[in-house]
Amino acid sequence: MSNKRKLNDIFYQFITYISALISVLALSSIFMFVFIKGSSLLDFGLLFNDYHEKYYNGGFNGDIDFSLTPEPDNLEANEFYSSMWGIALKDAKDREGNAIIIVSYISKDSPFSNMYDKNSVDIESSIVIKEGNIVSKISYYDKPTSLTRYGAELMIKDLDTVTDIREVVYTSLGGGIRGSLLTTLFIIGLTLVLALPMGIFTAIYLNEFAKKNKITNLIRSLIETLTGVPSIIYGLMGLAVFVPFTIAITKADSANLISGSMTLAVILLPIIIRSTEESLKVIPDDLRTASLALGANKTQTTFRAVLPSAYPGIVTATLLAVGRIIGESAALIFAIGTAIKDDVSIFGRSTTLSVHIWSLMKDEPANIELASTIALIILIIVLALNILVKLVSKKFITKIV
Amino acid sequence: MEKTLECFKRILGKSKKENIDILIRGIFGISALISASVIIIIIIFITIKGVTPFISYNQGLGQVNIFRFLTGRVWLDGAAFSSSLYGVGFIIINTVYIALLSLMISMPIGVLTALFIAKVAPQRLSIFLRTVVELLSAIPSIVYGLFGSGVILVLVYNFAELVGIQSKGGNSVIATVLVLSLMSLPTITAISEVAIRSVGKDIELGSLALGATKTQTNFKVVLASAKSGIFASAILGVGRALGEATAVSLVAGNSKSGPSLGLFDITSTLTSTMLEGLKETTGLDYDIRFSVGIVLMIVILLTNIILNYVKRKVGSVSVK
Repeated sequence: MSNKRKLNDIFYQFITYISALISVLALSSIFMFVFIKGSSLLDFGLLFNDYHEKYYNGGFNGDIDFSLTPEPDNLEANEFYSSMWGIALKDAKDREGNAIIIVSYISKDSPFSNMYDKNSVDIESSIVIKEGNIVSKISYYDKPTSLTRYGAELMIKDLDTVTDIREVVYTSLGGGIRGSLLTTLFIIGLTLVLALPMGIFTAIYLNEFAKKNKITNLIRSLIETLTGVPSIIYGLMGLAVFVPFTIAITKADSANLISGSMTLAVILLPIIIRSTEESLKVIPDDLRTASLALGANKTQTTFRAVLPSAYPGIVTATLLAVGRIIGESAALIFAIGTAIKDDVSIFGRSTTLSVHIWSLMKDEPANIELASTIALIILIIVLALNILVKLVSKKFITKIV
Repeated sequence: MEKTLECFKRILGKSKKENIDILIRGIFGISALISASVIIIIIIFITIKGVTPFISYNQGLGQVNIFRFLTGRVWLDGAAFSSSLYGVGFIIINTVYIALLSLMISMPIGVLTALFIAKVAPQRLSIFLRTVVELLSAIPSIVYGLFGSGVILVLVYNFAELVGIQSKGGNSVIATVLVLSLMSLPTITAISEVAIRSVGKDIELGSLALGATKTQTNFKVVLASAKSGIFASAILGVGRALGEATAVSLVAGNSKSGPSLGLFDITSTLTSTMLEGLKETTGLDYDIRFSVGIVLMIVILLTNIILNYVKRKVGSVSVK
């Protein structure tokens, strides 16, 4: 072998190595990016918080019962406690990076647990400062107002010198994804309820009942065609067909979760049908003929003998479907809308996690941190589903063998 | 009562069991029919909606001229809801241009990765790489979009600044191309790998027996024999690139006129145009999106037909 040939071979080998490396690099950089940007915000509070913050103005009526709770031992150095008012404050940064003062502890007998709502006409209304709320200002009758920019320490010092407060302005912490998480769960449930029976029935029909003729082939190829349609076209279909349809038969008056689920169900149909059919195909015909020979009719054979063996395939289909639902964005932008909501109703608009990312990125300025955190959650779920699919199919294969 | 039932039974000539069979068969058959008719419903409704702007007078704005629409170099002359002068000609060019450019990046990388996994790598490494490819294809497109706007836009912006070109925050043709080639990479790799694996062992051994090296065989014989399957992967990759919406809309920059052929110009694709500014749910500016949808479907269909034609031409050349 000549030297030139050797060099050539090494070069060609080298470029295959490089290509493979690029794929690995792509995957790892996506993961690293999402993890680095997103992990700082990832906590359980995020999952249960509202996205939109709520503003409160609290004030006091009559005498104030001061707190008798001494300073708790577990406060950290950056938390400042006022024993009279029973509240601990600390400096923090919000999700956009601005300085804020967060309530880190509030005692049970704190006067802040019994204020009236200045924004409400009802004089009896009472509001409560909770741990995690953000105090933006406290104003007094005979002193300058304590503001966020002076820091938590000064605010506590001011509090300790007064016996009455004119007004406390505080907000609940926004930027959470509870609404989108809930929407995603609703959508997964609704879509599976719609798509699974339809897909499984179709697969059973095609594999067990249908004769091998032109009509069956036509049905098959029509369903096959669905896989090539881009999801944005499904979105248009949802907008043109399902949104008016749901408005007509339910109390919804705009795009809603039901229309979104119907759109997703259509997207999932070919996936579920194919996966179920694959698992029906590998079931040996002996099983069917044996069941029929024992006197069972076609229905009994299908439900009692064939379907139980196809369960792993159906489970795989379901898991794949859930992954697809969580990841889908383009179709849902059309079929449900892009308004991020905290109060989720299946008759109204709201966003799934994916669309939430899109809305955040389309905002000016884009909130990449929160978007990455949601992406991180999505990635974790999708990876878990992938592993589950592998486990199920592995089990399935060993069972058949 | 019992007599009539008996009568029915005799007419039908079937037992209860058989009746259940017919019922179940009917239910399953109807499900299959509905599943099959969905694609027809999609085509009918989008066509009706999409053709409306061209044949109705759009609440006094006048018909959209179909010739102008297909060849236009400006998305909309005038303000939304007060003009009917739409054009998507430049967007069609942008879309195809971007899809082909991204194929030029993802195709060589994807095919070579597939070759590496199937023929070159030791078994453990190829299992690992296959998992990597699987994971890449499981990542939702919105995450690719996020990665694009968080990393690729920054890289493109810095690079453009380095070479002294103005770029709008990195939103550009090249950023879109990079995101799309990343997204179509796993599709191309997975399908090419299957094609490469299914190349007959005897062809390979024949080449080796004639004195070709392993690498020569891989590149000249195995890849050549698998080219029909590799072409199929390219068709799917292009399909994904043409139809991708959300990720593209985050990095394209949404230009309103064009075509944008420079690598650092902002651009727009059919899908990103459909997503842009969807506020109202009536009126021409809403209906026109369905027309764009029809154009998208036709572009995808035509690209598929052309590529399939090329595939037949290329695939028919004998390699033995």
